Amino acid sequence: MTIQETYKARVKKLLASGTVKMVIGYKPGTTADRRRPHFIRTPEEADQLVLDSACITNLSGYLLSEGLLSDEKAVAIFLKPDGIRSINILAAEAQLNSEQILILGFDSNDNQVTALEGEKVEEFTTLIESIKEQAPEALKNPLLEQIEGMTPKERFAFWQGEFSRCIKCYACRQACPMCYCRRCIVDCNQPQWVNTSSHTLGNFEWNIVRAFHLSGRCVGCGNCDRACPVNIPLRLINAKMAQEVLGAFDHFSGMSHTQEPVLASFKKDDSETFIL
Amino acid sequence: MTRILQSDKLDNCVARWREAGLTVIGPVKNESSSSYAAVEKAAEFDFSLIMPDRSIKELFFPQTEPMLHYTIKKQRIDTSDFTPPPEKRIIFGARPCDASGLAIDDPLFGWDYKDNFWFQRRDTTVIVTIACTKADDFCMCTSLKLAPDSTKGSDVLLRPLQNNKGWQVEELTDRGRDAFNEIADLLQDGSGPAAPTAVVAEKFNLDACVAWLQNPENFESTFWREISMRCIGCASCTFLCPTCHCFDFQDEGDTYSGIRRKNWDSCSFALFTMHTSGHNPRATQSARWRQRIMHKFNYFPGKFNVNSCSGCGRCSRQCPVDMGITETLQAISTLPS
Repeated sequence: MTIQETYKARVKKLLASGTVKMVIGYKPGTTADRRRPHFIRTPEEADQLVLDSACITNLSGYLLSEGLLSDEKAVAIFLKPDGIRSINILAAEAQLNSEQILILGFDSNDNQVTALEGEKVEEFTTLIESIKEQAPEALKNPLLEQIEGMTPKERFAFWQGEFSRCIKCYACRQACPMCYCRRCIVDCNQPQWVNTSSHTLGNFEWNIVRAFHLSGRCVGCGNCDRACPVNIPLRLINAKMAQEVLGAFDHFSGMSHTQEPVLASFKKDDSETFIL
Repeated sequence: MTRILQSDKLDNCVARWREAGLTVIGPVKNESSSSYAAVEKAAEFDFSLIMPDRSIKELFFPQTEPMLHYTIKKQRIDTSDFTPPPEKRIIFGARPCDASGLAIDDPLFGWDYKDNFWFQRRDTTVIVTIACTKADDFCMCTSLKLAPDSTKGSDVLLRPLQNNKGWQVEELTDRGRDAFNEIADLLQDGSGPAAPTAVVAEKFNLDACVAWLQNPENFESTFWREISMRCIGCASCTFLCPTCHCFDFQDEGDTYSGIRRKNWDSCSFALFTMHTSGHNPRATQSARWRQRIMHKFNYFPGKFNVNSCSGCGRCSRQCPVDMGITETLQAISTLPS
């Protein structure tokens, strides 16, 4: 049996037995290479389920849909390691109770999908630790290195060019599982703290505010980067911030559901001698 | 007798139009994205694109635009208007769906008053459209009763020649004729066979959809919640749409002076209808998606007798979660009205 069929049978069983009230997975999209998020509530709806290497979207953000988890019933969700780390962060930031989440874990490499053992988020700790070990290497990116080699002026010009395409559609924010604020700072309009105009200043403000807000929280799932309709390389910004946070604080996001957020924690043995 | 514009003469045409004071704009692709952008040479055009990622709308209705400058004094407020630059432009290589989108929005911008920001640009821009010989899985112009060679909104329609070495020229308006008179000596008489236009399958029954949408009983249908469950509430669909036209005013400055700007806004955003009281009449994403569909295929045609969609398919093509108008109208087509 293929992994897809194994998981399909498991999903049907989970729903038929009432173990979970919903399974969030994938179904076919408009074109052969696209997958759509699929909300499965009955065993019959699981027939459409797809699990293959085209299933790349991190679905964890849907768990915060209004009212979904408020009845305390369990929900199962298909997640890759990055999505599993998102669950840890959302739990650590008190956005959900990880006990309610049943993880249907999978990973894909070289177009091959493999199943991940475990159901509860704690069961993936060893896996996440191994990902952390590889992170310094995995976060490297030739374009990032090229940008680091630029003078500040060149770097500014590079990002000005990239951001000039920003249309402030906020697809990056909406696609991001970590952007769950009930009211985003750009939507706070009395006063309007951040310019909503997509001119140079407004575009820098938005993208820099978001970069800082995701520091130590982004799991690098790439949802924002893929969602951007004008292809701004947002992954570079987030990867850079992840490198900084890893180097400065040995903090790798989403290690456990009790991990303190790096920008909201204080350690007495912090190497910095002052607090900004 | 039809006239032919040969591809190898296009660079001369671009130079001629530029000499005549026109800004020449067309489909341009760079490494990461594509749009309609100004060019200096014909080689910068990319006619191989199904269509640019970004619609033609932004050339007439920019994503952000200054409207007026204000100064608040003790006894009075002074304002001075910004007006769009009086630049003459020719857009060479528009897609029929993009050109149609402009024509669809004309009555909206000219309805209770004439929006000069829109019409000044409309009046000084020549639109030269190239009929499509290729389409992708997202194209749906035929479902909207348009076609890959629609002339709607265009000043000139070009049909690619079968030998791929030029275009048949169909002048449609005086503005188009004037622009092509500038380059008359670069055109050839003759009528080489045109390449077949793209085949765009009809994806839904528009009349059936409109009838369903017009039935007030369907306003509260559970269909809306189901179809929009995966909508993440970004504005990618509305901002890339050639006909979505909602905007917001923003005052940027301090207590004493500043600039009032007009920025794109989207019915996808919760903030779009948020009242100062905190009450939101469109409190859920499904109510917002319903509004978008209702506006395009019920309210807008009710007022202007035309659907607010030209079938470009960008809403589906670029949706982060593979939603869009096609899927929704396909689903509605199958519902009992």
